[in-house]
Amino acid sequence: MTVPTNAMGPAIHFERVGLQLGGNCILSNVDFSVEPGTIHCIIGPNGGGKSSLVRCLLGQMPHTGTIRIGWGTGNVIGYVPQSLDFDRTLPMTVKDFMAMICQNRPAFCGLGRKYGPIVEHALKMVGMEGKRQRPFGALSGGERQRVLLAQGLIPKPDLLVLDEPGTGLDKAGASIMRDLLADLKERGVTILMIHHDLAEVRDMADSVTCINRNLVFSGEPEVELTPEKILNVFSPAGGTC
Amino acid sequence: MHAFYDLLRIPLIEMGRNGVLPEFFQYAFVINALLCSLLLGPVLGGVGTMVVTKRLAFFSQAVGQAALTGVALGILLGEPISAPYVSLFGFCILFGLLMNYTRNRTNMSTDTVIGVFLSVSLAMGACILLYVTGKVNMHVLDNILFGSVLTVNDTDMNVLLIISGLCLLIGIPLYNRMLLASFNPSLARVRGVNATLYDYIFILMITVLTVASLKIVGAVLVEALFIIPAAAARNVSRSMKGFFLYSMIIATASCILGIILPMQFEIPVPSGGAIILVASCFFALSVLIRASSTAFRGASA
Repeated sequence: MTVPTNAMGPAIHFERVGLQLGGNCILSNVDFSVEPGTIHCIIGPNGGGKSSLVRCLLGQMPHTGTIRIGWGTGNVIGYVPQSLDFDRTLPMTVKDFMAMICQNRPAFCGLGRKYGPIVEHALKMVGMEGKRQRPFGALSGGERQRVLLAQGLIPKPDLLVLDEPGTGLDKAGASIMRDLLADLKERGVTILMIHHDLAEVRDMADSVTCINRNLVFSGEPEVELTPEKILNVFSPAGGTC
Repeated sequence: MHAFYDLLRIPLIEMGRNGVLPEFFQYAFVINALLCSLLLGPVLGGVGTMVVTKRLAFFSQAVGQAALTGVALGILLGEPISAPYVSLFGFCILFGLLMNYTRNRTNMSTDTVIGVFLSVSLAMGACILLYVTGKVNMHVLDNILFGSVLTVNDTDMNVLLIISGLCLLIGIPLYNRMLLASFNPSLARVRGVNATLYDYIFILMITVLTVASLKIVGAVLVEALFIIPAAAARNVSRSMKGFFLYSMIIATASCILGIILPMQFEIPVPSGGAIILVASCFFALSVLIRASSTAFRGASA
């Protein structure tokens, strides 16, 4: 299944990254690096600044410090958000949703010739090819998450950023996602994702970073994810600036 | 443009006189109103799908009400009462942009911001109207509030033609981007869509369309033509294609029937009211279809 290529995703360097919002310290002195072509997970307690860090990386937050992306052979970012804000009763099929996201031709005109096969392939990769005519709002949380993952694959990303992609996924969905991410990694894509399931992180990540406003630890999962460290991070005491 | 309109009007007027078409076709103002409907219906119906999807129904209501203040300002500044377009466009665009700016900068919920601006605009309108009541016949204001086919002239048609053309040129290529901006601003930005900018463009589109539709539908009711056809279409659609297409058809049919039916049956009602009542009938029908058809059961979670 894997097609070896010379493509290589970017390396990312977070250097003394800080973020203040409305007088509150969200992030302070966050320093770590993501190696190219690896799966890097970000973990941490709720409110620890994980999503804010991702938004800093995407250039959507007025952070201090530096985030350097050392692009490899391409510079396409795929982003899979945690959720969408939309009316669940909207008459919009999965195909319409993909058309809205991926092409310029209005979604009500349907998928164009160029994007039809591409969308079909992406939906097939996430196991949703049989549900392209289903109303998008009527999908289960896990199914919607898979469609969101599919849109992150168009155009082919060099860096894929995922915000808690495991939310709502059942075993089959989680397995599809794991295989897909492993496949993308083989193709050289750098994958950065926020994840809550530490067992999954241990299984598939090459490196892990724990954020709780400050950097708590960063390194290989086998070394860093010790019971003591996990207990320490997820205990009620939070980090300070 | 007058010659072009005459090219369309004269044969129809002749057919009205000869009895080929109903008698009321012999009046130029009827043809004007129907031509406007053919422009207005598809555009409002299409844009309405975005208004409903982006949950901005109440916003268009506020802009419609602001138009009243725009008219009062226009009269105060000496513009012609039948076409105070400079004040109308000026005030409504300022109103819409300021409202969106306030919402973005304060992070207040949309309904609160609209509620505040709507009240301020109405209060201003009430105060200015007091000054201008001596200058004009207040019945003229009824035309602005509830629409009147009698007042549609070539200037109004030119305004509507230009605005509709602009909205089509801008709205169709940017349709997906404007929708995506409301689904998830972060995702939109990653995909090169400046969510804030596209929100402003959309707000401008609704505002200028509202002003351009005033003569036909009226300030109080124009927002209904954004919402009711789209809401009715939503009830009987399963895809974006059906949603958009049905909304355009229902809006156009409502405009045409709302103008023709009162004349056919000689019912003295304002065109805006008649158009919206027809649209409401379509909506009621769509609710019945939705409620009785098994095809839509389980279509929404």
